[in-house]
Amino acid sequence: MQLDKILHVEDDESIRVIVEMALVDIAGFNLVSCDGGNDAISQITHFTPELILLDAMMPGMDGLQTLHELRKKPQCQHTPVVFMTARIQESEKQEYLDAGAIAVIEKPFNAMTLGDELQALYQAHFRAADIIDSE
Amino acid sequence: MQPPLVPQTEPSRLKALQQTGLLDTESEQRFDRLTHLAQLCLGTEIVLVSLVDSHRQWFKSKQGLDACETSRDISFCGHTILGEGIFEVSDAKADSRFADNPLVVSAPNIRFYAGVPLVSNAENIGTLCFIDSKPRKFTDKERQIAIEFGKSIEQEIQDRLQEHAHEKLAASEQMYRSVLEGTRIGTWQWNVQTGETVLNKRWAQIMGYTLEELEPISVETWLNLLHPDDLTDSDAQLENHLNGKTDFFDIKCRMKHKDGHYVWVHDRGKVVSYTADGKPLVMYGTHADITEQTLNDLALQQSRDELYKLTQQLPGVVYQYQSWPDGRSAFPYASAGIEDIYGVTPESILTDASDAFAKIYHEDLPALVESIEQSIEHLSVWELEYRVTSKDNSFKWLSGSATPERMPDGSTLWHGYIQDITQTKDYYLKLEELNQDLNVAQQSLDLASEQAQIGYWHASLKLGTLWWSPMVYQIFGLDEQDFVPSDSMFKSVIHPDDIDRVEQSQQQALVTGIHNVIHRIIRPSGEVRWVHGLGLIVAEDKNPDLIMVGSLQDITDRMKLQKVKDDFISTVSHELRTPLTSINGALTLLQSGKIATLPAKAQKLMDIASSNCKQLSRLINDLLDIEKLAAGKMLFDIKPLQVAPLLQRALSDHQPYADLHNISLVLQQDPQINDVCVYVDEHRLLQVLTNFLSNAVKFSPQAGSVTLSATLMDSEIEIAVQDQGSGIPEDFKSKIFEKFSQADASSSKAKGGTGLGLALCKELTEAMHGSIGYDSSTEQGARFYVRLPLTN
Repeated sequence: MQLDKILHVEDDESIRVIVEMALVDIAGFNLVSCDGGNDAISQITHFTPELILLDAMMPGMDGLQTLHELRKKPQCQHTPVVFMTARIQESEKQEYLDAGAIAVIEKPFNAMTLGDELQALYQAHFRAADIIDSE
Repeated sequence: MQPPLVPQTEPSRLKALQQTGLLDTESEQRFDRLTHLAQLCLGTEIVLVSLVDSHRQWFKSKQGLDACETSRDISFCGHTILGEGIFEVSDAKADSRFADNPLVVSAPNIRFYAGVPLVSNAENIGTLCFIDSKPRKFTDKERQIAIEFGKSIEQEIQDRLQEHAHEKLAASEQMYRSVLEGTRIGTWQWNVQTGETVLNKRWAQIMGYTLEELEPISVETWLNLLHPDDLTDSDAQLENHLNGKTDFFDIKCRMKHKDGHYVWVHDRGKVVSYTADGKPLVMYGTHADITEQTLNDLALQQSRDELYKLTQQLPGVVYQYQSWPDGRSAFPYASAGIEDIYGVTPESILTDASDAFAKIYHEDLPALVESIEQSIEHLSVWELEYRVTSKDNSFKWLSGSATPERMPDGSTLWHGYIQDITQTKDYYLKLEELNQDLNVAQQSLDLASEQAQIGYWHASLKLGTLWWSPMVYQIFGLDEQDFVPSDSMFKSVIHPDDIDRVEQSQQQALVTGIHNVIHRIIRPSGEVRWVHGLGLIVAEDKNPDLIMVGSLQDITDRMKLQKVKDDFISTVSHELRTPLTSINGALTLLQSGKIATLPAKAQKLMDIASSNCKQLSRLINDLLDIEKLAAGKMLFDIKPLQVAPLLQRALSDHQPYADLHNISLVLQQDPQINDVCVYVDEHRLLQVLTNFLSNAVKFSPQAGSVTLSATLMDSEIEIAVQDQGSGIPEDFKSKIFEKFSQADASSSKAKGGTGLGLALCKELTEAMHGSIGYDSSTEQGARFYVRLPLTN
């Protein structure tokens, strides 16, 4: 199963632009960018992502709250989520994984390999899920 | 009147008279019967046995006269004893020698006198005399009769003497027998020439026999019973006596009793007669049983010997000290140890204690005297520590103790013991000093503990015992009186979320000897506090009970500050990284040439910007790592890991980077490394090795090589990275592991370092209980290593 549709939530416009170039221009994904949680919730009404890339620290609704809200939507109940954060405390990383994230990517990230990285995480996630299902 | 003359032999005559023992004794029938018979035979009015004493004549027997004595100078008998035959006066009135004699002119009016001298021991001691108041003359026959009566009287005197001697002898023998019986002493008699021997019943009894049982008795009887060991001494004693060298044969020896045991006897004898040619003939002697006395003496001697040996063994002196009311004092007994204690001999103070007192250190003398007086007054035990002065003028500390006893003469006698306690005293003084130091140290520690809010504790991992200082109770909010510390109690105050972490540290301490953990506790009031527990197991060879000592610090305030700092760093790092993410991303995309194609100069500028951006990113990462380490917030996932795969991974991770710089990477490892494990956090050890390797690659010349090696040491493994660079500059060596240090200002620009890498490596290595170091020479390049403890 190939990853194609990604929803990116990030309040910083510069990073949104870089990620868009990295994932669309370099990696060729189908991407929708949002500037915050509320934007994301409204976007998924017409875009059902296969993976959500979520910035952890955002003003207003932060990453965890956004995830919480997105999970309430039927189309996002099981969508794999990857957090992106500039905070590198282990405890925080663990907090995101505990909340259901499949991975945490540290900022600054490598724009050239970000797409590959997400594709790999996505594949690994579903392989693991398949194994669990088959068992 | 003519008084009688005194004979020339008067002294010996008087002595002979005395020896008859007749003077002033009662009248006796044996004499009275004879004088009465003589009176009847010769028909005279008076018959007397008259003994002529020095100034009188005393009548032992008298017939026809009442007087018992008259003066010698008027006596007729005084004349009779001057001659040998009968002295006869026919008519005293007609004899000028006696005519006016008072005995003639008045009662008894002597006219006739005839006296027969009485002889004893060849001296005329008196007379048998015949007196009449009418003149008369004896016929020859009458004279003969008178002389015969005189002889009879003489015979009676001799018989009487012998009878008396016999009586005395009998009494003396009786007394002797009684004495022998009383003292239970045996007797013996030995004819030296014939060997004939006579023993008495008691002699035999002492040896357990009857006399019959000992028959035939000879000198052999004696020799057979004598203890063989005493034979020589006995022979020597006997020979000495028989030769006249000693007055007595005297020996104490052992003789065999009938029952088989030996009895101690005291034999004493003397030669009492000799042969005509002067050889010893007969010996008499006594034989006394002295077993009990000898055994007592031996026991006494043995106990004296034992006492002596015992006192010899004692380091001090055992003594008796006596003090009299008149001020005299002495040591009636002092064991040899007195020489060591006082430097005087026991003899020198036997009757006067002055020599010993002269040795007392003058400052201590008044107290000594006072203590003795107190002991005398209350009869209380004397005890004192005092000093004496030695020959070299140094002090010696003594400790004495003695029990007093009041003697009948009013003196006081102590029985006691004095010992040299100089060394003990020195130790004691030093101990006191140490104790004071310890008190000061303890007070300082308590003060510091209170100021710093650090409690301390120790636990025996073997015995399961635990002790807390008061501050630990205070930190836990517990009352010292109400709780006995235990491991389970300690666990009960730990925050439930932190228990695993504390237990992990405890487990780790069993391996590494170090316990180091920061965790929360909950006080009984519900208040949550942060504490930092540190512990160390004392070296095992000196620590059989596995004692762990440690501290516990309340770091709640520090943790609050830390949180503020962490939040700040977190925020700053976020704020820094967010723009950095954009810059880095933009540059990466541009550099890739996939977004747009840039002119060559612009591309070069992009490279510069990108390189600096990466460095800034590393700087922030290193800085945050260092801060985390300092705050103790970096979590280490420490577990046993095989070394070989780790090295392989470090090498392959760096291969692209090395290729970029045209450097070859070489791995060198001991063959045994394959079996070796270290106790580390894999990620952090790789971080250290990455740092070493990237430094080595950076500082190596083109086409050089970098060697990663692993060597086994005693209980460690050394992992090292060797480059072929120019080595570490001398002036940089001292600060190589300091933060923000680089060899020179230009190198960071040239090689792209942050100056934090090695400082971080050091912190990480030490946090994993390892050590870090380097070797460097300008010819061979630099070699950095870490040494890590091996797991068992």
